[in-house]
Amino acid sequence: MLRCSLLLLVGVTLTSPALADVKPRKVDFTRDIRPLLADRCLQCHGPDEQTRKGRLRLDQREAALVGGRSKRPAIVPGAPDKSELLARVRTHEATEVMPPPKVNKPLSDRDIELLTRWIEQGAEYAQHWAYVPPRPAPLPQVQQLAWTRSPIDVFILARLEQARLKPAAEADRATLLRRVSLDLTGLPPTLHEAERFLNDPSPDAYERLVDRLLASPAFGERWAVPWLDLARYADSQGYANDPDRSIWPWRDWVIRALNANLPYDQFTLEQLAGDLLPNPTREQLIATGFHRNTMTNTEGGTNPEEFRSAAIVDRVNTTMAVWLASTFACAQCHSHKYDPFSQKEYYQIYAIFNNCEDANRLDDAPTLRVPLPRQEQRFAELDVELLRKLQERGKLSAAPLSVREKLDREIAALQRKLKPIEATTPILKELSKPRSTHIHVRGEFENKGEQVTPGLPAALTHVAPAGPINRLTLARWIVDPKNPLTARVAVNRLWEELFGVGLVETSEDFGTQGDLPSHPELLDWLALEYQRSGWNTKRMLRLLVTSATYRQNSQVSDELAQLDPNNRLLARGPRVRLSAEMVRDQALAISGLLSRKMFGPPVQPPRPLFALAAAFGSTTDWTASPGEDRLRRGLYTRVRRNAPYPSFTTFDAPERTFCNIRRLRTNTPLQALVTLNDPVFFEAAQGLARRIVAEGGPTTRQRLDFALRLCLTRSPTEAEAKRLEQLYEAARQRFASQPAHAESIATQPLGPIPAGMDAVELAAWTIVSNTILNLDETIARR
Amino acid sequence: MTLLERTRRTFLRDGALGLGGLALASLLAEADDPRDNPLTPRRPPLPARAKAVIVLHLSGAPPHLDLLDYKPELVKRTGQPIPESFIQGKRFAFTSGVPNLLGTPQKFRQRGQSGAWVSDALPGIASLADELCFLKGMWTEQFNHAPAELLLYTGAPRPGRPSFGSWVTYGLGSESRNLPGFIVLVSGGVLPSAGKSAWGNGFLPGVFQGVQCRSGGDPVLYVSNPQGMDREMRRLSLDALRDLNQMEGTLHPETRTRLAQYEMAFRMQIAVPEVMDISREPLQVLESYGAHPGAASFANNCLLARRLVEQGVRFVQLFDWGWDFHGTNPAEDIDVGLRKRCQPMDRAVTALIRDLKSRGLLDSTLVVWTGEFGRTPFREGRTAQSKTLGRDHHPHSYSMFLVGGGIKPGITYGASDELGFYAVENKMHVHDLQATLLHLLGFDHERLTYRFQGRDFRLTDVHGRVVHEILA
Repeated sequence: MLRCSLLLLVGVTLTSPALADVKPRKVDFTRDIRPLLADRCLQCHGPDEQTRKGRLRLDQREAALVGGRSKRPAIVPGAPDKSELLARVRTHEATEVMPPPKVNKPLSDRDIELLTRWIEQGAEYAQHWAYVPPRPAPLPQVQQLAWTRSPIDVFILARLEQARLKPAAEADRATLLRRVSLDLTGLPPTLHEAERFLNDPSPDAYERLVDRLLASPAFGERWAVPWLDLARYADSQGYANDPDRSIWPWRDWVIRALNANLPYDQFTLEQLAGDLLPNPTREQLIATGFHRNTMTNTEGGTNPEEFRSAAIVDRVNTTMAVWLASTFACAQCHSHKYDPFSQKEYYQIYAIFNNCEDANRLDDAPTLRVPLPRQEQRFAELDVELLRKLQERGKLSAAPLSVREKLDREIAALQRKLKPIEATTPILKELSKPRSTHIHVRGEFENKGEQVTPGLPAALTHVAPAGPINRLTLARWIVDPKNPLTARVAVNRLWEELFGVGLVETSEDFGTQGDLPSHPELLDWLALEYQRSGWNTKRMLRLLVTSATYRQNSQVSDELAQLDPNNRLLARGPRVRLSAEMVRDQALAISGLLSRKMFGPPVQPPRPLFALAAAFGSTTDWTASPGEDRLRRGLYTRVRRNAPYPSFTTFDAPERTFCNIRRLRTNTPLQALVTLNDPVFFEAAQGLARRIVAEGGPTTRQRLDFALRLCLTRSPTEAEAKRLEQLYEAARQRFASQPAHAESIATQPLGPIPAGMDAVELAAWTIVSNTILNLDETIARR
Repeated sequence: MTLLERTRRTFLRDGALGLGGLALASLLAEADDPRDNPLTPRRPPLPARAKAVIVLHLSGAPPHLDLLDYKPELVKRTGQPIPESFIQGKRFAFTSGVPNLLGTPQKFRQRGQSGAWVSDALPGIASLADELCFLKGMWTEQFNHAPAELLLYTGAPRPGRPSFGSWVTYGLGSESRNLPGFIVLVSGGVLPSAGKSAWGNGFLPGVFQGVQCRSGGDPVLYVSNPQGMDREMRRLSLDALRDLNQMEGTLHPETRTRLAQYEMAFRMQIAVPEVMDISREPLQVLESYGAHPGAASFANNCLLARRLVEQGVRFVQLFDWGWDFHGTNPAEDIDVGLRKRCQPMDRAVTALIRDLKSRGLLDSTLVVWTGEFGRTPFREGRTAQSKTLGRDHHPHSYSMFLVGGGIKPGITYGASDELGFYAVENKMHVHDLQATLLHLLGFDHERLTYRFQGRDFRLTDVHGRVVHEILA
């Protein structure tokens, strides 16, 4: 019974009953057979030579045709009855049957039927889709061509028409405005922007809105967040004592790079190997901080080499996961069970990163001195001066003592002047004399096996790199247009951010164990388009958000919810709960409290005290930043790995210990407590109440209209207005008889009541605002 | 298993918990469909002996050779250099060269019918010897606090994996409708070395992470309404919120889930402060634990653990800082310092076990008393010349005890060699402990899995053996 519902649930996502009649009769290796082999056979008969049983390998056709130790061919194309594989899966002998009963993964009759038909039809293998470069596909034929706005829509529509579904109508302009503003900038539209767009009669009003949003500085702040998740960015070193780390200049680099629309290939090169580019700029050096976000462990008694090695392992895994969506990490201890990566190849990539100079040090060396924001010019002047004096000092070893002392005093004075306007940030630096690298047997860093030299995985070596293999060659190989994965992985992530689910749902795994793309031709089309545009990320986003697919309304009928609960077919627009940072930023923006100050060292908004210290470290509590710094956008909040900002954790922000590809979204009562009661959210409600009273007009109805337009970009319906009015009146009456409560509600923590405003009125509006800020429609982007 | 499987797949497929809800459950009815609410209680796949777990973790690792593992031979050889064969090629945190052996200054006796050896530093625990199951052949691979704690709670020595309590909550949901299913209480003013990773969700959805309760202010963050908002006012606002959310007509499944979560939050606002308020306990109960309302003590937390389990909380994890007995100051001395340090702990643990038993909860509640590793049978290098006696970190052998929830009472399982250096008889690795505890909760540890980045992960990694010998 439960098994049935599982099949149903999974069934609708990939092989909807409505699609059954268009499914070709031919067995498809990629769709039907590879998942079976991967799940039931390859654990013992796959690429890992260490654990291979009976010398039989089933992941390669030639090997399967020869057979294993028994010398009986596992597969005889066209002859199921002569194929040992089928004999072994069909038998009922407990000692013979495959997979062995103890593995507890029996094949169903349908599975065996599929295998039989596949062998009957010639047992053709196909290379895993993701390792074959993207191919241009002709646009499919569709009926409702008028609905489409771009090739994206043609691919989506073709699939919908196959499933006998129709796309939803376009969302109304207000909904679309809020959706695309949150998607591109992480902030709701201002009233001014709403007016401008909603009253713009020109046919390309929406496209021009999109262009304004893409050009907004808030764009980089919003899109930095998923990249910081990938890069495991934090303002502390991790592990037990978790001391502070200064690496925010790298975070600022990401924001600037995104705002400047640095092409994704360049974005990649500078982060992986900016230091190895010819005459690297300061910015290119800062960019290499990407891989300096690995953790450092300086707890007493630790072996630094162990944690240096752990950081290199992290760099290998993160690089392969972020750019290639590969679960390469599996090959750390043994050759990959499912994908064609050997343990040796793992340590060949390790060898590339093993040549980095940094070595698990408390001071995070090597680091670079950089100016604080808005101090660039003064820093440059003083720094030139300092450099000159230092050089002079070097030449003066024979000069009289008094001369040298004078110079020393000048140098010290310059350094004192520089200190308050500069910071350091960790960077990558190559050792001049390379470290030797060995395979770590079973992944244990001290258990050294065969020595290896830098190299790239054979299965993906689409292009032989010229010259010695180092981080720069690795980075070039990743962004080489012939690399089958990089562009697909990148566009899939953009798609996932906008639509809630990627075209490949397992955005972290494009290997044989991952999901197949829901729209393979579309994914390839987007990947090629991305490359063709010169890896132009803003242009790709513009393409996505101006599509008819994106513009659909997100209402869902019961029928459609049942047929396609996860909206994989996209017969409706996206509807996603806001991320941790966006929930907070939005509330502060609506209330008018949000600081728009950009960049700089992390800030510390007020947070509840735990009165606990980190083990062998300092307190995990912090003193709130003064002034506007406590009301900055969420991404500037200090990320301390051992004591994350509580409301972000509650809203599923990752721990930032390791690379996190995909945030899972949960709904919990603890989230309700945050948005109802966290002082930051309550302060936002108070701020909103003051705005309502000051700017909303004289009547309750006008004020409600104002409040909803701020939160939801639309006016309330009659029923909504009535219900809110009722709440407002009830609250006002209660507070009229409880003046002390009214005073608290209106002022704690925002501050004294502005002149001319009434505590009871403000308190009642604060209750209404708190309620509106918790509406499902507010918490989600629809 | 299928249910779990389905839940897991739902998380993965939906990308959003609770998105898969197809049945139109009535709005304010409990979201009992696991697709609507991942914390819906689920029956374990196998028969379970334990419903709840209380872990009493003494952070820093108590000196087991002075508390539970009696080594007369070591006492005899005190002051002699350790035989080289023991330490060749070994690494210790703060000791190098050839250190001197150190027998315990504590008095040991055999206790009860079972005759288990327990030191006089633990008189209360000693009096319960016939109820307890001592594990004296424990071992781990990690000799530093954080990695050892991570190995113990997440099955791997580095951060990133789900913790024990998260796995259990993922597998079983939460029994309590008004309280989180997995609660963490910290005493001693310092977090354990593994930090929040010891109760983190790792790659599991965030809903399964442990909720760390505070001893001051709101026990659960933001459970109190803002100052000036009473419960009636909150109800009025939640009623309006519900009505407004429902005005859309056909509700999105996620909207339904969110409605249910606001109602649960409202119930938590009452339930949490109530359960955390120990001042309601009779004086003699407070007295037996040594608990004082308002303090942030281990004793209070032991009492809270009982109250939480009583209310259906499944997993309660206590950390008490200050058990890292290096001998670097008199409080960390394994002689007088240790006895002083043990006194309140011994009293609270004894009271907890007695209390659970008298309330009929011990049969279904598994209590685990442990550190993250053991301590060396020799003197710590840095303090070898001082008057205070201390021991270094020791992964090769340590002791702990279990009680209740399907554990055989009154036995000692496993033993170390005569110097207490290696576990030699019935050795039990932390993965074996995890496998055994999961078994008691109704799980096959090899099948409680979650697919992440292409691989099915489990708490016991690729290891673990259920130790049937200690099961009742």
